Formats: sequence, structure tokens, C-alpha cells
Amino acid sequence: MNRFNFAKNIAIGAAVVLSLTLARAADDLPKADTILDKYIEVSGGKAAYQKHHTEVAKGSFSLAAMNINGPVVSYRAEPNKSLTEIDFGSMGKMREGSDGTVYWMSFAMTGPHVKEGPEKAQAAMSARFNEELNWRDIFKDAQTTGVDTVDGKECYKVQLTPSEGPPITQCYDKESSLMVKQSMTVQSPMGEAQSDSFFSDYRKEGDVLMPHKIKVNAPGQEVVLTFDTITFNADIPADKFALPDEIKALVKK
Amino acid sequence: MRFSFGVILAVALSGLSFAQPTLTPAQRQLNIYSFELVWKTVHDKHWDPKFNGIDWQAVHDELRPKVEKAASTDEARDVMSDMLGRLKQTHFGIVPGEAYKELDQKDDDGKSSPSEGDPGIDVRLVDGHTLVTFVTPDSPAEVKGVKPGWEILSIEGKELAPGMAKVHAALGSVLMAELIETRSVVERMRGPIDKTVEVEFLDGKDRKVKLKLGRTGPRGTETIVGSLPPLYFWMDAHKVQSDIGYVHFNVFFEPDAVAGSVQKLMSECRDCKGFVIDLRGNPGGLGAMAMGLAGWFTSQNGLRLGTMNMRSMTIKFVVFPRPEPFRGPLAILVDGCSASTSEIFAGGMQDLKLGRVFGTHTAGAALPSLFTKLPNGDGFQYAVANYISEGGKPLEGVGVTPDQEVKLTRHQLLEGQDPVLDAAVSWIHGQ
Repeated sequence: MNRFNFAKNIAIGAAVVLSLTLARAADDLPKADTILDKYIEVSGGKAAYQKHHTEVAKGSFSLAAMNINGPVVSYRAEPNKSLTEIDFGSMGKMREGSDGTVYWMSFAMTGPHVKEGPEKAQAAMSARFNEELNWRDIFKDAQTTGVDTVDGKECYKVQLTPSEGPPITQCYDKESSLMVKQSMTVQSPMGEAQSDSFFSDYRKEGDVLMPHKIKVNAPGQEVVLTFDTITFNADIPADKFALPDEIKALVKK
Repeated sequence: MRFSFGVILAVALSGLSFAQPTLTPAQRQLNIYSFELVWKTVHDKHWDPKFNGIDWQAVHDELRPKVEKAASTDEARDVMSDMLGRLKQTHFGIVPGEAYKELDQKDDDGKSSPSEGDPGIDVRLVDGHTLVTFVTPDSPAEVKGVKPGWEILSIEGKELAPGMAKVHAALGSVLMAELIETRSVVERMRGPIDKTVEVEFLDGKDRKVKLKLGRTGPRGTETIVGSLPPLYFWMDAHKVQSDIGYVHFNVFFEPDAVAGSVQKLMSECRDCKGFVIDLRGNPGGLGAMAMGLAGWFTSQNGLRLGTMNMRSMTIKFVVFPRPEPFRGPLAILVDGCSASTSEIFAGGMQDLKLGRVFGTHTAGAALPSLFTKLPNGDGFQYAVANYISEGGKPLEGVGVTPDQEVKLTRHQLLEGQDPVLDAAVSWIHGQ
């Protein structure tokens, strides 16, 4: 055995040991469906979620590095209607929504557009009401892939694979079972962007625990969303989810 | 990009002078923190991990002792500016904290009360002469009878020509020379609103005229974007010769206002023979607005103006067609003071053959950048990406070459003509 082969064998051996270690670690991890169902349970239970038919969340965003902040309001209704409005002040307003069929976005800086392809698939996933309950319908596969650490506490990493688009990884706190992190590749006609979101400040809204703070780390920027109120089953005017005229005109084209 | 190079330049050239008291230990430490933040930001976020060929760590090690010894914030700022200057790229700069003082002078309506202003004159260099190209209506300059085409000979008794010749020699063939020289003249006329500035002109009959001009607040409405110093935005959208839509705005800010005005004009101009987007003197602003503006002039999906390359991702400057875009000829007017987002728009539309560019070569200052405030109160602008126009060329240091070069002349300006706009109108009518 020459030195090269020895070195190669060491490397192969190390890889084998590593793979065995990983395999053993995977065996010790709870299954993904157990983790996801546990989250439903600890955050309020299936019955509590099922009582909800609409959601209105109001708060603010902060881009601290650039001293930019403003109000955020989000309306959602089952099964998949949504409208999010963010006011960037002098940088203009951004609106993003779905009437259940068409997924769209309008930003003063870039203009309106109707989402298609991977962007539409991701928007449809996000617009799904009570997505926590319906993960089996949204994702074709869920696997526990390891352990991560968020704010010094360990969490289980669950990789969720949608029927279309790249997988999403969510991390659930080992102790509380609450979701504390989500990593995904955001799809957009302008390109793909890796995004890590950190969920905290869980508080009860009605019978369900909801995160009131979301820190989003996107390339070059950190955005913090803080929700002051989250109201379930509020009356949302029927036309709230109607397509804006400019989007209607684009759909007709 | 979130900030225009022109703003940095304007502040840097403003000649503001403030007494610098001796630094307290705490202030000295804040300057050191600021130095480290500037260095680390570039280290972590510059799109080129090789820092344009500079040994960035060595720059730090060389300059850190200097910032530690700096006896004033001005000196510390000079050290930080020196550090950024080593990159030899635009959109890196330090804005003195004093530039933010306007922010602290709010009226009841929440807007600033500008303490500084100018006589209402815009200028360009034409064959080595500093010519008035625009006089703001109702401004002190207009009241005193200043006209486009007049040459500025001196400001506050100081002749322009020798200084400009030195600057021009120093800058050589640097594309940004026109932008820098022009802004320096405008800034020399700026000052306290309650004081006058003496300007000597060569009028339309070649007579020397010395005028004491008052100053007025900046044209337009104040706009504040994040950590940027307050800026002033104005926009002009109307028809020319009744059959051409004309849009002119000074910076790429206030996207809602720009979108609203363009949309309104577009609806009034469905039968127009063409459109003109005038970006002369526009130093840039929010880069994404170039995409939004382009969407009014194509119905084709999937087009893009160019690509922005950051260290961690690539952003395509995609054009989202508006519901009812204008399909006729588009003329884009530029000059040496058109920079950044103006170049992204003009260069991209030229590459896509969606517009014909008229005027003179642009500034070649097109790096997307961000702006943040430093611990010592100064502002810090830093580029985070390189930008490649759709045709495959970078705009930084290259700029946009007009399809049809049209230079200003003193004679035409004195005659009240706008040869660049005239050329665009003529082209549109010939389509």
C-alpha cells in the first residue's frame, strides 16, 4: 500500500464512518410528520386551527441598516386568498395578493406583474390558509434531516419538498416544538434568493400560538417584521381580494 | 440602487465648513468604530472578493493607526475616504454628519426648512465654458434676468476658468469629469438662503454682467429615503408640440409620483407620435425604478435591462410590461450628468432596441449601492454589486454612448433652443 492509497483509504474510511454516523443520527431523529403534527398540537391543536376562516395581521417592518420602516398589513381567507400591503414610504407601496386563482404583485418601483411558473407555485403555497394543518397536501415529501441551533437552542430540521419548486427547510425547537426557522430559495423573475426567516415572540391569539416577530435574512439585508395584532375570523370585505384593475388588464392580455 | 452618486458628490463638493472641536475619547472611539464598520462592510459585501485588486487587509492595517490619531472627525473622515478611494470605484463615500442637519429643522408639516439654497441656475460645460442651461422659473436668477446661454465667469470674485482647467486636467478623460465639474459650479453658488452670491456672467451680447443673486430653497419637494440626507424631487410631464409625450424628473425617487404622472400622461397620449424621457442631469436613485419605467414601453414579457451581480446573488433587471404600454418611438435624452439608474435605463433600453438615445456620453457611474449611518453620525454609501447591461457591457467606467450625439451650443441656448430635444422630436416625427 503506497502512501497515496493509504491516504485515499483513510479518506474513504472517514467517509464511511461519517456516513455511518449520519445514518445513526438520522435513525435517532423524530420523523418529520411527528414534528409537524406536534407543532400543530403545541400551538393550539387541529380543532383550534379549523375554527379559523380568515386572518388579518397588522404590524410594521424595519430595514434597520438603512433606517427604513413602515406599516404592514396582511389579509388572508380560506382556502387561498391573500393580500399583503407594505408601505415603503418614499420608496413606494408594494401590494401582493391572490384572488384564489391569479397570483400577482404590484410595486411602485417595478410595476405590476402576474406571477407565473416557479414564482406562482411558491405564491400558491404561501397563500394556502392554515398551511400548518395542510402540509400533507402542500408537500409531497417531508424528511427530518438533522439538528440546527437557533439562538443557542437546538431544533430539528425538516425538509419539505413541494410538488413544484425547491425544498424548504423548517426548524422546530426541541423543547417547545415551535417552528423557529425557515430557509428557502425565493423564486422571482428577477432571480433566486436564499432567505432565512427566524420566528419568535410566540403569543396566543385566540386559542392559537402565533409568532409576532419574524426576522428575515435575505442577501445583503435584514428585515424585521413585527405584528402588533393578529385577528382571526374578522370580517374582510369581499372585494378585498379582487384583482386590481391593472392586474385584470394584464390577465386579459 | 438606493442612492445617487450625485448626492454624495454634491455634499462632498459643497464646501461646507464646520468648526471642529477637540475630540472627546468617546468621539474618537466612535470614529474608530466607524472606520472598522466601513472596512468590514466592504470586506463582507463587496461583490468582488478580490476588492478590485486591492489588498484590503493591508489597507486596514495601514490606515487604522491614522484614524486612531485623527484629531478631528474631519480627519477621521478623510482617512475613511482615503480607504474607500483605494477601491477606485464610484458609489463609495462618506457623507459628513452635518449634512443631516436639515433633518432636524422640521416645520409643522414634518418637512425640513432648508437653510441653504441656490440662485436657481443649472449649468453645463460646453467646450470649456460654463454655460447656464436652465433658469428655474421665479427663482432669484430669473428675477435678475439671467438667461440660458449666459456664461458664468466668476463666483464670489473667483474666476471659474483657471480652476476648471486644473480640475479638467486632473480628471483627464474620466467620464465623470463633466458631472464633477458641473456639480462643483452649482455647489459654489449654494449657500445660506439669507445671503446673496455674486456671480459674473457673459450675457447674450458678450457683455460682462456682475449680479448679486439671492438664494432660494431647492426646486421640488423634499423626499427622505432611509438614512439618506434629505433630497428634493421634481417632475415635469406634459406634451410637446401636442403630439409627443415628454417626461423629465431630476432623480429616480418617489416611484409613486413618477408612476402616477407617467400613467396620466400615457392615458392622454395614446395617439401621440412618440415619447421622450429626459434624463439629462439625473444622477440616479432607486435602481429598480428603471425596470418600472421600461415597462411602459414594451408589451414583451421576459425582457431585461441588465444584470446586477452581488456576492451572494444575481438580480435580473426584468421589465414587467404595463397593461397598456406605449408602442411608438421612444427617445431618451442624456448627458454627462446622467448617471447610475439613468444609465441603467438608457443603456438597457438601447440594448433592447426599445429606445433611441440622444445627447452626450453619460457619466459611467453605475454601481448599485446602499446607504447607512455610521456610529459617528456620518453617512456611508457603499456599492454592493456590479451591473452589466443587457448588451453585455458594464456601465461603470463605460457609460452609455448616445445613438445620436447632440451637443449644446451657446448660440442655440441663447436662442432659447434645446438642440437635444429638437433632435429627438425631429427623429420621432420622421418615424
